[in-house]
Amino acid sequence: MIPDDLRYTAEHEWVRDLGDGRVQIGITHYAQDALGDVVYVSLPEAGASVDAGQSFGEVESTKSVSEIYAPVAGEVVARNEALESRPELVNSDPYGEGWIAELAVEASALSGLLDAAAYAQLTSE
Amino acid sequence: MLSSDRIASPLVSEPALRQSPLHDRHVALGARMAEFGGWSMPIQYSGVVEEHLAVRTAVGIFDVSHLGNAQVSGPGAKDFVNACLTNDLDRIGPGQAQYTLCCDDATGGVVDDLIVYHGRADDLHLVPNAANTAEVVRRLRAAAPDGVEVVDQHEDFAILAVQGPRSPEVLRRVGIDAAMDYMAFDRVGELTVCRTGYTGEHGYELVVPAADAGPLWDRLAEAVASEGGRPCGLGARDTLRTEMGYPLHGQDLSMEITPVQARCGWAVGWSKPEFWGRDALVAERERGASRLLWGLLAQDRGIPRPHMTVRHASGDGADGREVGEVTSGTFSPSLKVGIGLALLHRDVAEGDELTLDVRGRPSAVRVVKPPFVPPHVR
Repeated sequence: MIPDDLRYTAEHEWVRDLGDGRVQIGITHYAQDALGDVVYVSLPEAGASVDAGQSFGEVESTKSVSEIYAPVAGEVVARNEALESRPELVNSDPYGEGWIAELAVEASALSGLLDAAAYAQLTSE
Repeated sequence: MLSSDRIASPLVSEPALRQSPLHDRHVALGARMAEFGGWSMPIQYSGVVEEHLAVRTAVGIFDVSHLGNAQVSGPGAKDFVNACLTNDLDRIGPGQAQYTLCCDDATGGVVDDLIVYHGRADDLHLVPNAANTAEVVRRLRAAAPDGVEVVDQHEDFAILAVQGPRSPEVLRRVGIDAAMDYMAFDRVGELTVCRTGYTGEHGYELVVPAADAGPLWDRLAEAVASEGGRPCGLGARDTLRTEMGYPLHGQDLSMEITPVQARCGWAVGWSKPEFWGRDALVAERERGASRLLWGLLAQDRGIPRPHMTVRHASGDGADGREVGEVTSGTFSPSLKVGIGLALLHRDVAEGDELTLDVRGRPSAVRVVKPPFVPPHVR
């Protein structure tokens, strides 16, 4: 449930290095399971600049709302428009079709993030 | 990032919480347990939306053993309770149940809303909310005349709810007679089966001695599965009742919210000479409540949540003036939009377009009269 090729934050987001200065982000299986049925994702605006840790969207489930903070600094270059009509993709495929946004980032941006083993340890505590 | 606190908190069960006799079964089914009214109860099994839709289209089984139980018996028990609780017990007879309110005598605020079962003899079985059972019992006991006994039986019974259009078939499959009128009940030995519920669907609540709850759950759950249904948690129960506009005590009814404001006047026996809160409520009814409970139907993707502020839409001449507050709100799995209940200023009318403050962003809502989806209780 924790893919090896992604990086993670302690707040249950994942970051995929797309290799061309862009990263894709989403929330982890653990996060979607804890939130329950996702019914709305407030997506960040393309073109927006975000700082690491800045709130730039929300994931809303039947019972609760959680903010999405940028795991790294960058510029929003794409958002997953499919979530507009199918927010449940965050539950059914959190690491794939349920991705949330893509950011253009500095090359060093991922260095502070957790690897899969560290994130696995975090969620088993 | 997601806030770790908010994710972690619902998963934590404190050891002091009371447990249903079905607790181990819920854990074995993979339920997410959470605190509700001092009890550790299943919030969801497979997912709120799936469970909600199962009740609307087939059938669901809920453990609602957190609900309280109290017995009032002895000569004059019915007349005593009728002089305390709001609804008129003379409207029903033995074998019938009634929704009623326990109000504060001074303010008319709601101590609790509850179901009263009218027994064959001069005895009543009360089903209050989990968190309020002790207080309802305390108030009744303090007022009870000699010979009338009020006994708290909270943990003596479990309560199971079978709700949905296939619920009669479920009961028949386990050999329980399902042919009874809405709000009527049957006693079979120590088992009480009532045509009631909190979902808006045809359904039953079964009050069973705690020791017998496990085997009954097993039989009913198997029958529910055979009818295309599933176990449902309190998360789905909340979205189902919100679609019906049924109030939840602690949110839409409280010591600060009277039945007049919450439009529960239908559960008040106004012609009765005596019930707790009568003077305050009659006076409020005559002068008109300053605020009333309405439904809010989202006109965009916003989802009402408790305590959100409701304002006049800007540009309608009222300059965004505050008109009230959301008391319950959720995403409606049936309608696929946000819905809510809100206490709004008396000047607000059905059809008004208002603005909801969704964490600093304006969201358009329309004032409607619940239910949000058609009920099928009868």
